[in-house]
Amino acid sequence: MTGASAFSAPRAASIEVNDLVVQYGGVTAVRGVSFSVGTGEHLTLLGPSGCGKTTTLRAIAGLEKPTGGLIRIDGTIVYDSRSRTQVPPERRGLSMVFQSYAIWPHMTVFDNVAYGLRVRRESESEIARKVGWALGLVQMSELASRSASKLSGGQQQRVALARAFVFSPSVLLFDEPLSNLDAKLRAEMRVELKELQRQLGITSVYVTHDLEEALAISDRIIVMRDGIIEQIGAPAEIYELPRNAFVADFVGSANLIRGRRRPELDGDGLIVLETPRGTFVHGVAHGRRSGSEAVFSARTVHLQLSRERPSAQRNVWTASVRSRVFQGDFTQYHLDWDGRRVVLRCVTTDPVAEGTDLFLSVDPRHCILLEE
Amino acid sequence: MPAGRARFWRPGPAVVSLVVGGAAVLVVFYPIVYLIQASLSVGDPQARPPEAYGLANFVDLARYSHIFWNTILVSVVATLFAIVLGFVLGWILSRANVPGREALEQLMALPYYVTPLMGALAWSLIGSPSGGFLNQVWRALGREGHLIDITTPYGIAWVMALFEGSVAFVMIGAVMKSMDPALEEASQVLGAGRLRTMLKITLPLVLPGVLGAAIFVFAEMLGSFSAALVLGLPNRFYVVTTAMYQFVSQYPPRFPQAAAMGVSLFAVMFAMVWIYRRIVSRGSYVTITGKAFRPRAMDVGGLRWALLAVCLVYLFIAVLLPVLTLLYASLQRLATAFPRADNFTMANYATALSLDAVRSALANSLILGVATAGLGVLLMGFLSWLIYRSRLPGAGAIEYVLMFPQAVPRLVFAFGMLWAWLVFPIPIYGTLWLLLIAYLTVFLPLGIRTISGVMLQIDRTLEESAQTCGASWGYRLRTVTMPLLRPGLIAAALLLFIASVRELGASILLMGPKAKVITPAIVESWFSTSTEQTAAMALLQTLAVVLALILLFAVAKRATRPAGE
Repeated sequence: MTGASAFSAPRAASIEVNDLVVQYGGVTAVRGVSFSVGTGEHLTLLGPSGCGKTTTLRAIAGLEKPTGGLIRIDGTIVYDSRSRTQVPPERRGLSMVFQSYAIWPHMTVFDNVAYGLRVRRESESEIARKVGWALGLVQMSELASRSASKLSGGQQQRVALARAFVFSPSVLLFDEPLSNLDAKLRAEMRVELKELQRQLGITSVYVTHDLEEALAISDRIIVMRDGIIEQIGAPAEIYELPRNAFVADFVGSANLIRGRRRPELDGDGLIVLETPRGTFVHGVAHGRRSGSEAVFSARTVHLQLSRERPSAQRNVWTASVRSRVFQGDFTQYHLDWDGRRVVLRCVTTDPVAEGTDLFLSVDPRHCILLEE
Repeated sequence: MPAGRARFWRPGPAVVSLVVGGAAVLVVFYPIVYLIQASLSVGDPQARPPEAYGLANFVDLARYSHIFWNTILVSVVATLFAIVLGFVLGWILSRANVPGREALEQLMALPYYVTPLMGALAWSLIGSPSGGFLNQVWRALGREGHLIDITTPYGIAWVMALFEGSVAFVMIGAVMKSMDPALEEASQVLGAGRLRTMLKITLPLVLPGVLGAAIFVFAEMLGSFSAALVLGLPNRFYVVTTAMYQFVSQYPPRFPQAAAMGVSLFAVMFAMVWIYRRIVSRGSYVTITGKAFRPRAMDVGGLRWALLAVCLVYLFIAVLLPVLTLLYASLQRLATAFPRADNFTMANYATALSLDAVRSALANSLILGVATAGLGVLLMGFLSWLIYRSRLPGAGAIEYVLMFPQAVPRLVFAFGMLWAWLVFPIPIYGTLWLLLIAYLTVFLPLGIRTISGVMLQIDRTLEESAQTCGASWGYRLRTVTMPLLRPGLIAAALLLFIASVRELGASILLMGPKAKVITPAIVESWFSTSTEQTAAMALLQTLAVVLALILLFAVAKRATRPAGE
């Protein structure tokens, strides 16, 4: 599927990507991707490595020459395969934060940030004012005169950010900017980045393979795999209603339940699957259609474990605990259910011992029918 | 000119790579074509273009099988010795806690700068059977004959190995240093002893690197010229390169035979370099992970003083002894092992400096050196960028062509050029221009490897981020690429300067009677005038190089200092 028909951009489009194809040698990295980004919107391209998200971003930047399609920024065509237009990156009026930060080691912090302003021939007083403002926003003011080669990873990250937004580009691109930081710093920067984005209001496209990062900072997320778009939607939508098995699995952990459709048992807005072992599972279709075989996705956090039989009528089964893994914020249980293994995550003060038989239940609203 | 900028971003890739590729092919292959043509000429040897073609010259080579045998003997012995030297030094300086390790590592480059020619001149003074200093002492002690004879194949191999040992050390040392010590530690933790670890882990991991170095060094030995010329020629002991030189410079010259020898040598060397590249590119260097690790030195206890002594002895034999010997000889009227007050003189230096031939040759060499360094850095910098950064189609093929001169002995290459440029419509034969072209061509691999080594370390995104900041191609080059590339460009300029001032194999065939350069002049002096004056000339050349380097370095440093410093 291509995303163009699946949504309508909420605001005037700042970036439009139409049927983008990128090939290197014999490999097709991006195969016909379409989407648009509204003015001031924060869009994230999410996917595993090799899914084409970085290539798509670099094609928007002009650092990669696509093989086909059309890219428009603020209404201007910057790439068009038919008219053979390819505007070089430096004349696209955008800016980018690189995964490696790409801080120039032979310059000071100030010179790094001032670079884009000097390119634009701004006056020295104006440059000093803007660099001061940008370094203030990323809390690096006191290090302005330091050599860039003497910065920590987190500091380089901040300088790279300041350098990218200081000249007020119309579009800001982020290529996995946090992936080289350690986990704690990454979590902090995520919050700071979100605040900064909201303050600046610049249209941004963000690439990451980290789900939490994508959920935290985006207005909208595009999930990609093998060069195509799997799903486009708001963070909550992507999380709650994954379109297919890939998205369900990639966007947080999910149990996939396969079975034969039993339409004659449908009712109350629910549909029913029968697993190969004859267990009935109720779920919701959300207007999606399926064949005679279908798959439900049930998130590990939506499954419930109880010693007493729950009062609910549907989706209550017996299961036994195979193993238990304590992970701090939550405990993960591996259960034997219906002749297979399911995974459940919960916060509990009353751990269940391995080998215990008990009741497994799940609200049918949390069993989502997937498209095949 | 926004249009111009846009054009450069997509400069019609096919056109650019065609033009550059075409020029590269021309400069590199044009002489080779002439070399092969000459080797197939079976008519009148002086006629050009050849009257008839055939393989007779190659069949004829069977008569010179002893020359090929000599070449193999010298090369194999010298390679074995150089590799053992390189391995031992590499192990000591990357694995043992020898005192002054870092300083020693820097010093290990020195033998390379002594050059085989200076080594051969000095060792001839030390170890020639009749007049060698060491043998004079030997007889003064009442013994008969001589202690060592440096003019034998083993003597020649010894001189070559002392020089090439430094190259082997750099190659093998790099492999040893790039090996993660954790690989050895893992073996020890799992219960293997130090010896077992060495045999089962260290050796297999380092072996491909050592093998690669051995093949590379062997190829260099096959094409080497100066040691065999200085030490072998008086005895009529020939290797392929010196035999070729003899064929070309005798009267009447025997060009077709020389060409056939050159082609054979070139074929073998080409195979060697190809094998070397296969070994390196197949990623046998599993040890190179790109992961950062702490270099770890093993505590070898009291043994470290013995290991230190090994390094110092090598430096003494390969550097200090030759230089001191030349200095000592150059200060005597008649070079002898036993100093006498009335025998000392400065006359050799005075004579050398007063001779117009020597002065103009030295001046020519310095001019050529500066020109080669200056033009070379621009040309090779651009070519490196073209190969490794431009992402033009065919960049890999261009790289292959430009690295080609590495597989051709400089003497053989010069032979091809000799023929090629004799028929060239612009009369540059016998002028410094021809030498400039020759130097720029034969040093392509040296310059490109030096510059691209630094270029590949510069993360591509450093340039891309300048681009997304809005900087045009020229602005980017000036503010980001060039300053970051500065160390590579300076290093390349210095290396090109040194290499061209001291070049012998190509210069000896290509220089004209009115445009001489210094290294061949030194060789001529060795064979036709006095030993003492030759020693003085060799030292004057070295001094000139050192002074010029200091000057160049100061200029380069000032000219390219970044604004922020």
